[in-house]
Amino acid sequence: MQRKEILLRHGAWMRESGDSEVVLSSRIRFARNLENFPFPHALSMEAAKEAEELMGKALTSLEVEGEKLNYLSLSDLTTVEQQVLIEKHLASPALVNMRGARGLALAGDHRLAVMVNEEDHLRLQVLMPGLQLTKSYRLADALDDALEDSLDFAYREAEGYLTACPTNVGTGLRASVMVHLPALAMTNQVQPVLGALAHLGLAVRGLYGEGSQAYGHIFQISNQITLGKSEEDIVTHLEAVTGQIVEHELQARENLRQQVRLFLEDKVWRARGTLQNARLLTSDDAINLLSLDRLGTDMGILPKGKETFTTLLVDTHPGCLQYILNHELDAGQRDEQRARLIRQAYN
Amino acid sequence: MLCENCKQREANVHLSKTVNGQTHELHLCEQCAKKTQEVNFVFHSGVSVPDFLQALFGFSTASAAPGIQQEEVCPRCGMTFSQITRAGKLGCNTCYEKFGTELQPLLRKVHGGGQHVGKVPKRRGSTVREKLELQKLKDKLQTLIQQERFEEAVEVRDRIRELEQKTGG
Repeated sequence: MQRKEILLRHGAWMRESGDSEVVLSSRIRFARNLENFPFPHALSMEAAKEAEELMGKALTSLEVEGEKLNYLSLSDLTTVEQQVLIEKHLASPALVNMRGARGLALAGDHRLAVMVNEEDHLRLQVLMPGLQLTKSYRLADALDDALEDSLDFAYREAEGYLTACPTNVGTGLRASVMVHLPALAMTNQVQPVLGALAHLGLAVRGLYGEGSQAYGHIFQISNQITLGKSEEDIVTHLEAVTGQIVEHELQARENLRQQVRLFLEDKVWRARGTLQNARLLTSDDAINLLSLDRLGTDMGILPKGKETFTTLLVDTHPGCLQYILNHELDAGQRDEQRARLIRQAYN
Repeated sequence: MLCENCKQREANVHLSKTVNGQTHELHLCEQCAKKTQEVNFVFHSGVSVPDFLQALFGFSTASAAPGIQQEEVCPRCGMTFSQITRAGKLGCNTCYEKFGTELQPLLRKVHGGGQHVGKVPKRRGSTVREKLELQKLKDKLQTLIQQERFEEAVEVRDRIRELEQKTGG
C-alpha cells in the first residue's frame, strides 16, 4: 500500500462515531522492551538499528483483521507526514523529535499503531471509537502475545514488564478515554467533576496530551498507576469512572435542555451557521465551533453533517490540511482552506 | 542515543554543521551542548519529567554532586544512579536489579507500593503464573467468606490446595 494512502486514511476512531455520545475514543497502550538491548535512549546508533530491524520483522509478520502491518521508518517521512501522525494520535511528538532508527507500524484502519524505539522499544497502541476499553484491551493483549512468540521482553517477577521510565513499570499499561464534555463546561462543572479523578489514581489531560489545553471541551483521562494492579483492574476501573463522567455530562445536557432551551438552540445553530458560511477559520475557532456543533447533533437539535466531528477535528489541523491539499500553506492560507473544507462538509 | 561528547547522558540536542560544503552531524546532551561555543540556545525551563522524578527521589541535581566516593555503575549499560535520576529514565533492565534498593522508595511514591500482579510473559514458564493465580484465589476466598458464600468458597479452597501441592508451597 502507498504511504500516502496509509496516512490519508481516516482511522476507525475518526470515521465511526461509536455508540457513545460523550466518549470519542478508547485507547490501550502497552510499553514493552527487549530483553537483550539497553533501553532506546541508551542505545548506540548501530544497536538502535539492529533492534529496529528485529522488531520491524516481528511486527510485519503480524496481521490484524487479515491485514498485514505496514512499517514506516520515521527517517523516510517528511516533516508534514510526521505532523500528520501526531495529529491523528498515531505517533507521539517524542518519537518524531528523536533521532536515529525509529518507526511506526500501522494496521486495521489505524486501530493498531506500534511505535518502535520511542521511550521504550515498543509502544503498542490500540485505538477504537467510543467506549470500547475492554475490546481494545483484548486486541492489544492478543497482539502482545503474538509479538512475544518472536521477541523476548524485559520482565522481572517483582516489577513486571520493565520500562525506561519507572512510571510505566509493571503492566506497562496506559488505558485512556477521550471525552467530550461541552455541557459540563457550559455549566462550570468540569473542575468539580474531573478534579476528583486525581484521588482515584486517574490523570486528566487535554486533546494532545501532556501540557495541552482542553480545546473543544475534549479531555483525555488515563490511569496513573501501572504497578500492583492487574490489567483487568485498571481497565474496569477506568471504564466504571468513565461511565460516571458520561452520566454527569448527559445530566448537564438534560438540564440545559430543560432550563435554557432557546439559549442552547441559538448557540448551536449559530455555530452551524458559521461553519456553513465562514471564509476564514483559525484552528481554535474551528475546534470550538465543531465542539458546539457536535453537541447540537448529539442532542438532536441539528441535523447530522456529512463528516464526523473527529474527522473534521483532525483533518483541519495544520499538518493534515497541508497533506490533504498536497502543498505547503502559511497560517493565512490554512485558515482559508480550513473554512473551505468545513463548508464542504456542511453544504 | 548517547551524547557523543561525554558518552554518558542522553543526546537530546542535534546539530548539523556545514563547513566548506561538508555537513557534520553532532549529537550532544544539554550540558555538553551548553558548553560548546557554537551553540547559544535558550533551553526552556518548565518542569520536566526528570525534575519531577528528582523531586520524588528527594534530592535535586545540585545536591547530588559527585562526592569523593566512586558511584556504583550498572554493569550492563554503565549508568550510575545519579545519571538515572537526572535522565528520569533507567538505562536497561539490569538497572532495575542493580539499583533495586534505591528504586524502591520511588516506586512506592509513584505506584503506592506493591508487586506486579498483572500479565506474565508466556515464556517465563508456568511457575510465576501459578503463584499469581494462587494469590488471586486466596483474595477471592477471603471475599467469598466475608460474603458468606461458603459453597463457592469450598471450591476455591480446593483449587488453592491443588495449586499449592503443584507448586510445592
